[in-house]
Amino acid sequence: MSVEIDTRPIWVLLALRALKPLFYIVLAAVFLYLVAMPAPAGLSAAGQRAIAIFIVCLVLWVSNMVPLAITSLFAIVLVPALGVLSKKETYALFGNEAVFFILGAFILAGAIMHSGLSNRIALNIMDRFGRSPRTLLLSIFLLAAFLSFIMSEHAVAAMLFPIVFDISKGLGLKPGKSNYGKLLFFALAWGCVIGGVGTFLGGARVPLAIGILKESTGKSIEFLDYAVAVFPLVIVMLLAGYFLLTRFFPSEVADVSSAHAVLSRRLKGLTKMSYNEYAVGGVLGATIFAWIFFGKAAGLAAIALSAVVCLFALRLVRWKDIEEYVNWGIILMYGGAIILGTALDKSGAAEWIVNLLIGKWADKPWMIFAIFSLLSIFLTEAMSNAAVIAILLPVGIGMAERVSISPALLTYSIAVPAGLAFMFPMSTPANAIAVSSNYITVKDMAKGGFIMCVVAWVSFNLFAAFYWPLIGMGYGK
Amino acid sequence: MKENYIDNPAALKIDLMLRGLRIDDPLVRAWACGMDGVDIMLPRNTLVNIPCREEFTKGSPYVLRKKGGGYAITDGRGEVAAELVKRPAFYDRKTSTGVPFSRIATVHGSLTSIAPSSRCDFFNASVECKYCAGNLDVKGADKTIYSVEEVVETVEAVLEEGVGGLIYLSTGFSEGTDGGIVFLKPYLHAIKRKFRCLVAVETLPPRENRWIDETYALGADSVLYNLEIFDKELYEIICPGRAASIGRKRCMDALAYAARIFPNGTVASHLIVGLEPPGSTMQGIDYLTGIGAVPILPIYRPRPGKALRIDPLTTEIILPVYKHLYRAVTEKKISLTWVRDLSMVTTPAEIRALVDDAGTRPSIVESFYKSRLGRKTAWGLSSLRRKLRVKASEGGEEGE
Repeated sequence: MSVEIDTRPIWVLLALRALKPLFYIVLAAVFLYLVAMPAPAGLSAAGQRAIAIFIVCLVLWVSNMVPLAITSLFAIVLVPALGVLSKKETYALFGNEAVFFILGAFILAGAIMHSGLSNRIALNIMDRFGRSPRTLLLSIFLLAAFLSFIMSEHAVAAMLFPIVFDISKGLGLKPGKSNYGKLLFFALAWGCVIGGVGTFLGGARVPLAIGILKESTGKSIEFLDYAVAVFPLVIVMLLAGYFLLTRFFPSEVADVSSAHAVLSRRLKGLTKMSYNEYAVGGVLGATIFAWIFFGKAAGLAAIALSAVVCLFALRLVRWKDIEEYVNWGIILMYGGAIILGTALDKSGAAEWIVNLLIGKWADKPWMIFAIFSLLSIFLTEAMSNAAVIAILLPVGIGMAERVSISPALLTYSIAVPAGLAFMFPMSTPANAIAVSSNYITVKDMAKGGFIMCVVAWVSFNLFAAFYWPLIGMGYGK
Repeated sequence: MKENYIDNPAALKIDLMLRGLRIDDPLVRAWACGMDGVDIMLPRNTLVNIPCREEFTKGSPYVLRKKGGGYAITDGRGEVAAELVKRPAFYDRKTSTGVPFSRIATVHGSLTSIAPSSRCDFFNASVECKYCAGNLDVKGADKTIYSVEEVVETVEAVLEEGVGGLIYLSTGFSEGTDGGIVFLKPYLHAIKRKFRCLVAVETLPPRENRWIDETYALGADSVLYNLEIFDKELYEIICPGRAASIGRKRCMDALAYAARIFPNGTVASHLIVGLEPPGSTMQGIDYLTGIGAVPILPIYRPRPGKALRIDPLTTEIILPVYKHLYRAVTEKKISLTWVRDLSMVTTPAEIRALVDDAGTRPSIVESFYKSRLGRKTAWGLSSLRRKLRVKASEGGEEGE
């Protein structure tokens, strides 16, 4: 047993313990007030309740006073109980594709770890790049970003997670305490997030946004146009991310040579790759191939679950082998977040918030662009990025007509920031997966993520104002 | 006899411990002196364990006599009422495995001392402490280890009878960095899980502070790391094993760290009076109270057959040391509710009457903690404090 003794005065410890019940009482009072107060003009009763639930869940998620998954379960209870959505609709939302995609990704990751393949890959990566803490960090950061250009960032995070986890274990980093452990998992999460906005393939949000644009205006955005417009932003964000992380979490690991020697010995001690490793690697390779080339048609979740079925059909894993790798807490959390996002959308609460914040006072194209990108980047922290697009884009396209801004440009202003979710684990599965390592706390992520959001928003708007006109993408129609 | 101590129970206690007691009544002598001294209650609830078998007691001026239905101690010039402390009934019972409870546990006033093993490897390496305080009856090469179940049965018997409610677990020296807490861990864990009682632990000072954290987390309410002798040179001569394997500095560091972890008044250390000059003992008292530990001052009593032959000090010389102890603990505001009512040593609370004219009675707080409700309150507060302060980390579990 490893223990720590808190030597602060007893009255301080008692006061801190008393804060928790007080916190719940205040939160409950705020919630009841928000539910009971007269609904503001333009907001339905259901929308008002959805906002109340959203605020309570956001506070609980951020404060981590209860486990993230339990907050989500609370949302699942409150949404139908307060009549925001029907019971049937609420529970059906839990069957969302994203939830099953994450489940499949966890099982795949479990199989890789159980077969020993991730250990082998981790040892090889460390052996090759682990000459210094800096190069190791950079290799993970850039690898995550590059892979997210060509496949879903969620899948990249799921694939790299066991490798980074093994590297952290190999270095003997203490979860929750080691700055270098934090750096490695931030590099994984933020690498995926930044890389994920680089192309259409990084996630489902851009195809969804283009679909809405096309339905509303008949216009579209081409793959190359998008890449040329957004790629410089990716470069800037990668630089900013690396700079910020290394300043925020100064590495306590000055030298990885001792770990390197141990890892080299371990590498030598490895047997030849087993059939299981080859087979699991093959299934993983086929899954990645399918995600890249058939992801849009077949769906990421369907491909992930098919891979899981393959693993079991080929008897590469047994349920009890991978059960411990499935983080049900994250799955519950993500399901709850989707339900909450949908509740905000369908109750009209999200639209009311947009109208309230933007209203009629914003009439300049750059201002509209800035406001929508700001709303998008902050709403995506608490909601599914697809839901952010579903909420903001119809309103935005309507507004574009009114202020003579290109609807395609406005689509960028929402679709790109919707992918830049740096702050919370519920913002995107990449963050959730990184937090599930226990090396990063929600507080760590919120602190660094907020600055990244601000940098991303400012950079994005500067690129829109000064770079995009150079490539023929002005604000005007 | 230079001074007359018969009227002051605190001074009389010290004098009796130094000089011993003659017992005229052959029946009482046979009954009481069959044990390690005789426990007698003096006025003002002053409990004392008095030697009565040793050679030096034959010259004692103190005699126990029958007086009416009870007893009195007289020095020829005066007398004081004395009550023979009843032998605990559980001493005559046995564990389910047939071990007499009296072999496992010994009641010393408010505490019951239990040594699951009397082995001490200092003896096996011939580096035992020369005085061999014998407060634990430790010895070498003894392979007897009482099982957790036997100790738990003993504690149950002790608590059922309502004597010596503070359980005092101790062990001798063994190799390792933990000081002995790993050996005591299952006993401590079992006692804390099964009974609502306070437990003090005496081990050698561990070499790493994490063992002190663990001792607290496991449920120890009080801890003793005995320095025994403050003078550096005498420490090395008299305690060669301790000096070589632990060292005086580490012992002092461990006490200082423990005093930060454990509550006020629950970290204690023996300084044996009579093995070093009184001035040195006083310096030790100042040091220990300065770091927040309670000095406990047992009196050196030569034992037959022991290598160390030092003439014991006289009461006249010792009394100022005890007065200094009382002043030091009160000045440093060290709680006196833990170290009290011990038959083998004179506690600071008992010295109050010698120093403080108004303080012949225990304070309300001390009286409260002596009561049944007080003991329960002490247990509850100690458990709550531990619950608040102990944090398990990396696969650990919260203590208690």
